Amino acid sequence: MSVPVAGGSTPAPVTILLVEDDEVIRRSVTMALERYGYRVTSAGDGLTGLELFREGRHDLLLLDVMLPGLDGIGLCRRIRETSTDPVLMMSARGDALDVVSGLEAGADDYVVKPVDTAVLVARIRSLLRRATFAPAASRTPAGMADGRGRPDEGGHPGGHAPLVFGDLTVDTEGLEVFVAGRPVALAPTELRLLLEFAANPGVVLDRQLLLRNVWDYGWDGDSRVVDLCVQRLRKKIGAERIQTVRGFGYKLRR
Amino acid sequence: MDTLRDLVNWRSLRWRIALLVAVACCAIALTVGVLVHRSTLDRSMNDGESKAVTQLSRALQDYERDGVAPDGLRMSSGAMPDELLRRLRDRQGPSGGYATWYDGDGPGDHPSMWAAQTYRGSPVAVQVDMTTDLLTRRALDRHMWKYSLVALAVVVPLSALAAELPNRRLRHVARTARRIAAGDLAARTAADRGGDEITEISATVDSMADSLLGRLRSEQRFTADVAHELRTPLMGLVTASGLLPEGEATDLVRDRVRVLRTLVEDLLEISRLDAGAERAELRPVPLAEAIGESLARTGLVTQLTTTGALSAETDPRRLDRIVANLVVNAHRHGRGPVEVEVAGTCVTVRDHGPGFPRELLAEGPQRFRTGASERGRGHGLGLTIALGQAQVIGASLAFADAPGGGAVVTLRLPKAG
Repeated sequence: MSVPVAGGSTPAPVTILLVEDDEVIRRSVTMALERYGYRVTSAGDGLTGLELFREGRHDLLLLDVMLPGLDGIGLCRRIRETSTDPVLMMSARGDALDVVSGLEAGADDYVVKPVDTAVLVARIRSLLRRATFAPAASRTPAGMADGRGRPDEGGHPGGHAPLVFGDLTVDTEGLEVFVAGRPVALAPTELRLLLEFAANPGVVLDRQLLLRNVWDYGWDGDSRVVDLCVQRLRKKIGAERIQTVRGFGYKLRR
Repeated sequence: MDTLRDLVNWRSLRWRIALLVAVACCAIALTVGVLVHRSTLDRSMNDGESKAVTQLSRALQDYERDGVAPDGLRMSSGAMPDELLRRLRDRQGPSGGYATWYDGDGPGDHPSMWAAQTYRGSPVAVQVDMTTDLLTRRALDRHMWKYSLVALAVVVPLSALAAELPNRRLRHVARTARRIAAGDLAARTAADRGGDEITEISATVDSMADSLLGRLRSEQRFTADVAHELRTPLMGLVTASGLLPEGEATDLVRDRVRVLRTLVEDLLEISRLDAGAERAELRPVPLAEAIGESLARTGLVTQLTTTGALSAETDPRRLDRIVANLVVNAHRHGRGPVEVEVAGTCVTVRDHGPGFPRELLAEGPQRFRTGASERGRGHGLGLTIALGQAQVIGASLAFADAPGGGAVVTLRLPKAG
């Protein structure tokens, strides 16, 4: 019962794992998020964070980049080995190295400290929307079949024929993705991005549009987020499937 | 295109070298030509003189033997040129020698050599035709001209071609230096050919790029470290102050936290700009819309007029930063109404306050200096940031006083496409 159910009568609290070494930030962010109704588990270093991640189920991971022991980027990479849970990174340096390595390690989005609680919550909500939109893929890679019993979304088996692009098959109803017949585990952001492409095959989608539709950024999103998510998606579904159109954006090859 | 432009650039090193070679060749050809011409002329004069003298003495012998003047021997001074007679008079001495004169302006193109002698008190002379000689000399001169020109026609293009190799290496150095100047600090000339001056300048450019890169890296690292050290406690402060119960004291704290946060972010932004760590993400941006949205986000009352607004090739986030800073600055330090005009790819922000202080107009914006006190308090970072960001997106920012009073800032952006 860790998947938040939008609009449910008795919503289970969304649990967030916060890994942050600065005690004031850890405690104040925990308190602030609890005010918004989230349940927060926190750790002060990377290794403890990894332990907590393995012990319990979390709907979202909020990781600081600079951590003693295992840093946020390493932690994110370890988490991504077994999970497609949404990951939001917090960087205090905010330089290209931090941001890019965090996104390369598999983070879905990042915020630069200091961040207002309202902004942080907006990012968390956007990420969770992607995760609840694609519950099948938000769980562990092995649990693809979990999505079938979703009580509240879609659930019309065979209502839609899956979309096929070469050896890539996207089941927009069951929210499953297959490459050459084998299921592929996509993180929620990756799945949302792929669905965006699949809805407009052969159409060039610019970064601003993708930032708006997938990440819910108004106008000031960082286009590197898109670029790095496209890179990760390519690794999973084949590099040729998504074509870069220089100066414009990306398009899905039919 | 580049090669063509380079080819027709008469100030290029290639043509200078070719010109130098041409001048050197001409000088050599001229010197040799003049020397040859002179010595040929001298020899031809000597030959002509001795021929004329021989002919004269033979004619006199014939005359003495036969008693009849042979053909060609002139016995009356009326048939002789005045110059020859004058020379003969000058020569008159006990020895009674010969006088010769080359009549270069002879009838038509037929010069001749005269030889005269005093024979029994009166002058006698012979005239030898020198036309063949003259024609031979002229042919020689023509040949020298012709072959000098042929040699030039071969040597000049050859030297221009030979200059191509060092030229190419120099152009490579220039290209690399330009790339470095444009921010590609990984660019290297990687030259190891020869131990000449070009290798030296290549190595110098490379080592300059190395040291620039080193400095940039350490500055960027420093900026990132400072950012981390400042933002971490600030994040705690921002979040914790958000948890405080509402009240007057809380408002005061939150206000100061906001100011502190803006100041830290501005300083970090300036230090990133100074470290040259900023890279623009350029794309075509329709200016009328972008500026309109920027103004709306400032939440300040600003009049926007657009006349023939175009799209600019720019980074929308940085453009927003610039416009917001200019507008906020105009509201804070100037007086309303603040007017923004977009015309083409040019954005002007104008207020109706006291105008910019003189130091700002002279030296540009300076950190922590707001100049005249009538422009109010402020840390003076806004305009510095606007200027820095404008440089990053390749735009120009000009500060001036408006004709009717007030400050006016003009931002010129590169046109899209």
